[in-house]
Amino acid sequence: MHPRHVLAALALAALAAVALVAAPTAWSQDDIVELKAEAFGTHLRPAAVFKHDEHNEKAGLDDCARCHHYYEDGKLVEGQDSVGTPCSDCHALKGAGGQPGLREAYHRQCKDCHVEKAAGPLACGECHTGS
Amino acid sequence: MHAFYALVSGPLVWAAFALFLGGSIWKIASLMAETKAKDTYVVEYWSWSHAFASFVHWLVPFMSTNSRRQPVMTVVTFLFHIGIVLVPLFTLGHLVLLEESVLGVSWAALPDSVVDAAAWIVVLGCVYFAWRRLTLPEVRFVTSAADFVILLVVAAPFVTGIMAYHGWGDNLLMTSLHMLCGEIMLAAIPFTRLSHMLTFWYTRGYTASEFGAVRNVYDW
Repeated sequence: MHPRHVLAALALAALAAVALVAAPTAWSQDDIVELKAEAFGTHLRPAAVFKHDEHNEKAGLDDCARCHHYYEDGKLVEGQDSVGTPCSDCHALKGAGGQPGLREAYHRQCKDCHVEKAAGPLACGECHTGS
Repeated sequence: MHAFYALVSGPLVWAAFALFLGGSIWKIASLMAETKAKDTYVVEYWSWSHAFASFVHWLVPFMSTNSRRQPVMTVVTFLFHIGIVLVPLFTLGHLVLLEESVLGVSWAALPDSVVDAAAWIVVLGCVYFAWRRLTLPEVRFVTSAADFVILLVVAAPFVTGIMAYHGWGDNLLMTSLHMLCGEIMLAAIPFTRLSHMLTFWYTRGYTASEFGAVRNVYDW
């Protein structure tokens, strides 16, 4: 085998190893560190910092539906969650009737709970940090 | 800290708007009642055409003789007043809170950089006005301690707003203080010299009517 081929084979093997190790973490929720919805188009502020697993551990949150709620005909369906469905699938940029727009949905989802629990960030600059 | 935020973002907002709106109605109503009782000629000689012409004349920079005589003051005061109106109404954070409020209404915000610059101008304007009150003899003569308190009341929401926006200091504390300062300023409008926001139209309109419709002279 030519040394060049050996090198190429080694490089490929290394790449494959990296992909195997990195892929699960890249797709797991460990990697959610901010709330950034592409649906917004232009972002007026830096995306809100949100470390999914760290947050839920600290808040003692086991029920996914607490945030990933599921509504049918404007009514909350208990015991069902919307994990995996992007918020923007239901929440348009502008609110409609009782359904809040995307920005308001995010803000209320976080802040209403923080007010209720008297814990967690409330002011703009506590979540929208960075430049 | 959450309790303080809850207070300034809840009950105190209602209190401030009630005092501002109720106080403004009271201010205008009492001004009208007093006019009717003591200065009926204000009503008798009132001329809307002269009043409106005079509003324009005095609200366009360098149009009035007085504003041409004091160019620095004219530039500062116009930029200051534009800032003090634009910043509260078009800051993104304010509109987000309005959107989430019971009113549920909102409108487009100005870019952060524009609002930030305007807020700095308001603060620097307050510094200039204070300096003017301290150094110019003709202004010093009509200045009392209350005038400096008013400048502080006006500067405070803008200073704390700038600090909250730039992330200087504890953000929740700074934002809460900002809300409190804004509420104090809003509530103070009808009951202090800030009421010129409401009374400017009356005094300017009356002066214009007397000069234009009675004495038939130029509106300087």
